[in-house]
Amino acid sequence: MGSYLSDRWEQILSASWQHFSLVAQCLILATVIAIAIAAFCYQNKTLSGIANSVSAVGLTIPSFALIGLMIAPLGFGVAPAVTVVTFYCLLPILRNALVGLSGVDRSLVEAARGIGMSRVATFFRVELPLAWPVILAGMRVSAQMTMGVAAVSAYVLGPGLGSFIFSGLSRLGGANSFESVVTGVVAVVVIALILDGLLVLLGRLTTSRGIRV
Amino acid sequence: MSNSSKITGATILLENVTKSYGSKKPAVNQLTLEIPAGQTVMFVGPSGCGKTTTLKMINRLIEPTSGRIVINGEDVTKMNGDDLRRRIGYVIQAGGLLPHLTVGANVGLVPKMLKWDKERIRQRTDELLDLVSLDPEIYRDRYPKQLSGGQQQRVGVARALAADPPVLLMDEPFGAVDPITRQRLQEELIHVQAELHKTIVFVTHDFDEAVKLGDWIVIFNEGGKIEQYGTPEQILAHPANEFVEDFIGSGAGLKQLGLARVRDVRMRQLPTVDLGEDAAAAANRLTEAHAIRGVVLDQHDRPVGWISRRHLEKMSTVVLPDEKGVPTVGESSTLDDALDTMLVAGSSEAAVTGARGRYRGVITVNTVIRAIEGLSHEAVEEVSVPVGHNTGAIPVATTAENGVITYEMAEDDQQKEDEWLTSANREWSETDRQKWENYSSLDPAEDVVGEDPNLKGSGSERA
Amino acid sequence: MSATTSEKTADLTAGSSWKALVIQPIALAVILGLMVWWLFAADLTETERITLDPGYLWGLTLQHLKLTAVSALFVLITAIPLGILLTRRPFRGVSGLFMALANIGQAAPIVGLIVLFAFWMGFGTPAAMVTLVAYAFLPVLKNTMVGLDAVDARLIEAARGMGMSALTVLWKVELPLAVPVMLAGIRTALVLLVGSATLATFIDGGGLGLLITTGVNLALDRVLIFGSLLVAVFALIIDWIARVVEYLATPKGL
Repeated sequence: MGSYLSDRWEQILSASWQHFSLVAQCLILATVIAIAIAAFCYQNKTLSGIANSVSAVGLTIPSFALIGLMIAPLGFGVAPAVTVVTFYCLLPILRNALVGLSGVDRSLVEAARGIGMSRVATFFRVELPLAWPVILAGMRVSAQMTMGVAAVSAYVLGPGLGSFIFSGLSRLGGANSFESVVTGVVAVVVIALILDGLLVLLGRLTTSRGIRV
Repeated sequence: MSNSSKITGATILLENVTKSYGSKKPAVNQLTLEIPAGQTVMFVGPSGCGKTTTLKMINRLIEPTSGRIVINGEDVTKMNGDDLRRRIGYVIQAGGLLPHLTVGANVGLVPKMLKWDKERIRQRTDELLDLVSLDPEIYRDRYPKQLSGGQQQRVGVARALAADPPVLLMDEPFGAVDPITRQRLQEELIHVQAELHKTIVFVTHDFDEAVKLGDWIVIFNEGGKIEQYGTPEQILAHPANEFVEDFIGSGAGLKQLGLARVRDVRMRQLPTVDLGEDAAAAANRLTEAHAIRGVVLDQHDRPVGWISRRHLEKMSTVVLPDEKGVPTVGESSTLDDALDTMLVAGSSEAAVTGARGRYRGVITVNTVIRAIEGLSHEAVEEVSVPVGHNTGAIPVATTAENGVITYEMAEDDQQKEDEWLTSANREWSETDRQKWENYSSLDPAEDVVGEDPNLKGSGSERA
Repeated sequence: MSATTSEKTADLTAGSSWKALVIQPIALAVILGLMVWWLFAADLTETERITLDPGYLWGLTLQHLKLTAVSALFVLITAIPLGILLTRRPFRGVSGLFMALANIGQAAPIVGLIVLFAFWMGFGTPAAMVTLVAYAFLPVLKNTMVGLDAVDARLIEAARGMGMSALTVLWKVELPLAVPVMLAGIRTALVLLVGSATLATFIDGGGLGLLITTGVNLALDRVLIFGSLLVAVFALIIDWIARVVEYLATPKGL
């Protein structure tokens, strides 16, 4: 195991970085999309309901099935991986954004409008900051969940640590196949913990001390 | 149930009971306490004084570290806790109803555990719901969340009474309801107790509640130390020490309003005038009685308004001069409630009504104020206080043939109690007798407390 | 990490109105109907016809169902008793440690775990099932513990005060009141199981995932899409059944 690691140190680091950056970038993209959708829906009960149902149904669809569906239109490689990871990132964040935004006290919004803030300014300076901790919680769920999805996406030649798992699987019984799989699994756990830690840190830095729990 | 004079309660004796958690100061230390059968004993004291711990040691939800608990002559300290608890009613704040069971199922829980047959449980459930003023037809199959807080609390009481336990433990049961509902629940409990005569141990942090409901009050201090054990009248009139005084707070006289009932004070009799009768005749009656005003009654003798002689002179048959109505209080209301009613109505007098709202007389603010003055000097009947101390001395309990336990107090305890009683009397005899005499020599025709208000009797007459 | 999983659980457990319970199966039936119609109407090649043979599809579906159901059963009979045990007083101390370990385990990618178990136990269904049980264990364990912990302590005391024994309190009070939370955890676990069971194909564990790998390996786009859709529909059907059970089993007074 030791020699396996020291021989492929750079390869492991680069795959870990790819895995991390795939999830992190998709997470950011998904957050922006989710907030945009939530901003559009949260004041309307019907739209919120639909968004919630779509989110629930989406989470039920197995990731491997969605990856399979994406191969036909997008081919192999980075494109299907990014699409699928973003999709699964989106759902928990969307749900939490809806909960967070609709949970903002309406009297605060009225107060902001009352002192002359525009509708847009109210959203960005009052509602979004207050809903932020809930949205961030959704981001943490998404990050942990999509670490595994990203690993599966290596099946369609997506980037990241999944390749260690699949290469070990394809050479089962061969030299270093076991080491390869263990490396992939452990590295995913490690970067999942790192990303979660970073998100907690982000929460500390971006959440107003007035509403921190 | 129908025999209202029968005491169904049991005597409870805590003997030298201590509860300690680890090495900390004991929550309850060497407590010896006798709770007489069929009486309501209130545990009051600041939070953390051990009153709740003491209560829970009676049904052994909290196991005492040492000492023993005797109920109706039977040492229950070592018996199976679950069996013990099935024989003791237990009521907690908000009723503690199980939300996944219907009201009926909640009430029937203990009988079901005692393996009563279905029909008997159903009958008992309906009977109890009826007792706590909930129509079984409407409420039996509802779920607790469909009930108001007060109704849930009533079901909680009904559930505790289900297996007809001799003892009812109540742990701040009315703490979570609004003041108006609380007042109604308290009155209902008084009625239920008048009917059932259980031994009730009731924990509260509200001294007024203790005065209103209790036959006896135990005032606890930290560590389960008994500061005073006596009737509400005794404690209000003669607080044992500074701690009790502080706990009662100022206005002990006012608190005694919660003890006295309207029927216990002398009411004024105003001439009555019937709606629709000849106005001249009515005016004559007022003149004969030297009264400026009279009370107008409707055909059911219910007071509906005031009327003056001048009004009557202007009309031929009696009609209501205005639509203001008249503040009324029931004759079994407390003076506290009466004062409240008058203050709220902005009136210095209120009509007192009896059964079916019939007119009984008039009570005035003056009457109440005189009553307050009188009450604080009211002679406290020398009743023998049940045992309650923390000295660790255990009275020797001897069970007589009839199952009644008698206690021989340790000598020094007897002495202490005698001292307490005599010192109380001595204090009373010095300055207060003068005032008492002044007060009792007042002209009884005025708005004063009657010659023999005998207020201490009210505790046992609350029906 | 502990917060993460509980929120994840919460995420997947939005309550279901009866409306959603009616719409979901109708929509699924329509989609399934269209798929069956296409299967018979489409002009399939020889290989496609073999892989999409209805009897074969039915066999794969049954395999998938068996994988899901058997592992779910194992999860239930292990995780629920353990959850009850860990909330009893003598074991409360170790429950934190247990949860921390389980949470870290949950961060491991299931596709990696399934391969590791295959190294250990050999290829085939047993290894797949063991992985699935290990993976779906946490939501059920966690929700059992959360549900039991959330039962109002005063209610338990009231029940004890009436003379119920500890066992009766557990059976008559704690478990019924914890049922909604526990059911939500079970549904989450089922959804995880159905999805993860698609990966069993990598270690020859069977199931509908085989359609996807076959589609990819043989470059049969139509098989790939049909297989993926079938897996998705199957997952949603299981989810719907779980929702119905959840709806019916929740005590009425809650």
